[in-house]
Amino acid sequence: MKLATKLLVLTVVVSVALAARAVAAEPSGRLVLYTSQPDRDAQQTVDAFRKKNPGVEVEIFRSGTTEVMSKLMAEIAAGQPRADVLLIADALSMERLKAAGQLQRYPEADVGQFPADAYDPGKTYFGTKLITTGIIVNRSAPLKPKSWADLLRAEAKGQVVLPSPLYSGAAAIHMGALNAAPTLGPGYYDTLSRNAAVALRGNGAVLNAVASGQKMYGVIVEFMALNARGKGSPVDFVFPIEGVSVVTEPTAIMRQTRNPSAARAFVDFILSKEGQELAAAQGYLPGRKDVAPPAGFPEVGTLKILPVDIGELLKQDEPNKKRFAELFGG
Amino acid sequence: MQLIPVSRGESFAFATMLGIVVLLAVVPVARLAQEALAPGGSFDAAVLARLAETPTVWRATRNTLIVSLGGVALAVALGGAFTLLVTLTNLRGKKALVFCFMLPLMIAPQVTALAWINLFGPNSTLLAAFGLAPAPGTRHPLYGPEGIILLLGLEYAPVVFLAVRAGLRALPRDLVEAAQAAGAKPWRIVRTIVLPLMMPAFAAGGMLAFVGSIGNFGVPAFLGIPAGFTVLVTLIYQRLAGFGTSVLSEAAALSLLLALLALGGLALNSWLARRRDVRVTTWTTAAPEWSLGRWRRLVEGACWGALVLVLVLPFLALLATAFVPAIGVALTSRSVTLANFHFVLLDHAATRRAFFNSATLSAAAAMMLVAVSVPLGYSLVVRRAAVLRAVSFATELPYALPGVVLAIAMILCLLRPLPLLGFSLYSTIWIILVAYLSRFLLLALRPVTNALQQVHPSLDEAARMSGARFARRLATVILPLVAPSAVAGGMLVFLTAFNELTVSALLWSSGAETVGVVLFSLEQAGDSVSAAAVAVIAVVVTLTMMLVANALASRVARGVLPWQP
Repeated sequence: MKLATKLLVLTVVVSVALAARAVAAEPSGRLVLYTSQPDRDAQQTVDAFRKKNPGVEVEIFRSGTTEVMSKLMAEIAAGQPRADVLLIADALSMERLKAAGQLQRYPEADVGQFPADAYDPGKTYFGTKLITTGIIVNRSAPLKPKSWADLLRAEAKGQVVLPSPLYSGAAAIHMGALNAAPTLGPGYYDTLSRNAAVALRGNGAVLNAVASGQKMYGVIVEFMALNARGKGSPVDFVFPIEGVSVVTEPTAIMRQTRNPSAARAFVDFILSKEGQELAAAQGYLPGRKDVAPPAGFPEVGTLKILPVDIGELLKQDEPNKKRFAELFGG
Repeated sequence: MQLIPVSRGESFAFATMLGIVVLLAVVPVARLAQEALAPGGSFDAAVLARLAETPTVWRATRNTLIVSLGGVALAVALGGAFTLLVTLTNLRGKKALVFCFMLPLMIAPQVTALAWINLFGPNSTLLAAFGLAPAPGTRHPLYGPEGIILLLGLEYAPVVFLAVRAGLRALPRDLVEAAQAAGAKPWRIVRTIVLPLMMPAFAAGGMLAFVGSIGNFGVPAFLGIPAGFTVLVTLIYQRLAGFGTSVLSEAAALSLLLALLALGGLALNSWLARRRDVRVTTWTTAAPEWSLGRWRRLVEGACWGALVLVLVLPFLALLATAFVPAIGVALTSRSVTLANFHFVLLDHAATRRAFFNSATLSAAAAMMLVAVSVPLGYSLVVRRAAVLRAVSFATELPYALPGVVLAIAMILCLLRPLPLLGFSLYSTIWIILVAYLSRFLLLALRPVTNALQQVHPSLDEAARMSGARFARRLATVILPLVAPSAVAGGMLVFLTAFNELTVSALLWSSGAETVGVVLFSLEQAGDSVSAAAVAVIAVVVTLTMMLVANALASRVARGVLPWQP
């Protein structure tokens, strides 16, 4: 009798506790952030935001841009979107959401210090940084590449890894930029795949492969490579001479947000001088003109940026991804 | 024989339990079959036809069969050899050997995969110390089918061990003694008497290893995806992760394919067991213990050496990675840092939440299932109806089917809002709890039914004749007898649920991460050092729980905890 009673009481208590936890998990001031930033950076951003807004409890969902988008769309289709605010890699996904009417306008956002092409004229999404894609090189590599064309050379055969546009938003924009570049053109990826380059899931996997020595060269976003180098990984980063592609990691408020005031506060924080200085401290090139870039970066003016036509890229995105999947196996 | 009429309370309890089993075990599988074969309500083979034309699907199926059969072969060889050594010879330290051998079964596959990856990469500190590290620029030696087969074999060798040991325990002594009296040497006896008699046990172990291998997600996810080697399970995961719930029908069809493979394995096993019609005259439980003589030290050394190679080295490699600040940095006295542990335990809210979620979900599932399994087991064993066999089979399905398949079944059932309550459980933590209840019902029920089958019905009938009602009988007669088995079953549920990844990989959402999911995400995002820290913590937690369970072993029924000799 004793054991049975104990078991029964325990079961009841635990069930009640679980139910209470579920109920108590909805206080006022909860903000759900969907992001493709790396876990550590996302956590730091949220912690800094919470220091200024202690009443808000933030929940982070982090994955590659494509996974974040598909989860978002699945939740919208099921009628229960959970995200309040987004911080994802590329404007392409934002344009899609804007076209589907899923973003909320925020006209009062303070964008005075940002260049005009960093944010949506309709004020639905706002670029927060300047993230460039270049080449990461393992220090024991025989060849020191200086250009995108160098990755097509025989010495780099089978030693190149790149992130897949089917997972990473930055990789999708990068593909569009290289396709449109005059000296590289659409044949670049074909040649790259013939040179036995391997497609991995995201930029993190590329960092992993090159830093651990399994591959010598990788296509990667610059902050990951420079941060790893700073921590002691045996890697170097190169800004290729033909130019680099850029994504702005925009933030946006969902139309169906359950906490618009906290969402606005989050966007304000990201765009503020303090939020931008945090980004610089994390190794990103800040979007604001009045915040200094991190040490070791070239002057923004000296960077050669490959232009991308967002409208054109929207049309080319699906065919691009299909071609990439055929060339590299997705 | 029911000579005493069944009381109303008992009928009601029986009906409720049956209802619970139907909801947890039968409905999800039926819904899955329906979605794959008749998505629109009527039979429509379009989805199946489309998939049959996709070369990726056939490639994935072929890959699944290759690695599973390879893994089974390795597991049978390793597990069988180890069982014969441990059961039939006079090796010393058997308890410790068995405990260590069973560890891969209890430690999550994704943790094992991560540890091995860290051991053999070009940046492996351990190998670099011996000058054996692979040259920079070479592909990781474990990525691809060979590595997957190796790890699957190592992981399921304990399962084969359990099956064969159970068979060896029932080895009839008189046949062996007759052979010994006729002058046969031990190796001849093993070859001509023991092994043939053990064929059904080997087949059973091999089948369990096969079903486990085709449903295993952690190993092919870590070792196959980076090499572009896809198996059915990772194909389903990638489709669902990349395209969301719009491809549920496709995913359901692929899951059905996987389920068919599993059922094929089960059917093959039954057929093999029937073919071997071996009858024996006595059943004694003492297996012969042959002396190894001068070879004993050597064999013991070899066993422990192999265990160190397979368990300790990978774990050390994992530790080494968890203590460096970034990938590729060698572990030296200057570079060692606790920053990763600080990050996962204190800073990274998702990991903290994951440990809390996993612990809560596992504990809740364990307690609920124990609470259900006692009356359910009683109703099944005492009733002794044909219902017993049907229900037994039903509870086996969610456990035998690959976790990914069950997850999809759960999504299909729970995506739309519940009929009377109006909200959907999808994208909440509750869907994971329901999936756990469905999947691990068998783990909690089986020990209870086994224990109840040894309880003489006269106890229950005497209580009935004295006028005790159902609840009273349950509490005062049945419960004290099955409590040890029920509690052991609960502990097994807790351990298995805490480490699992396959089910929660598809069901998790923001706020509802589990330990397996967080480890997988961190590794996928390239943060290997944080993933290693999480893995180390998970191993420590698992080991602690196993040792606690061992300490309570004297009060727990024999044979329930798999790692006890």
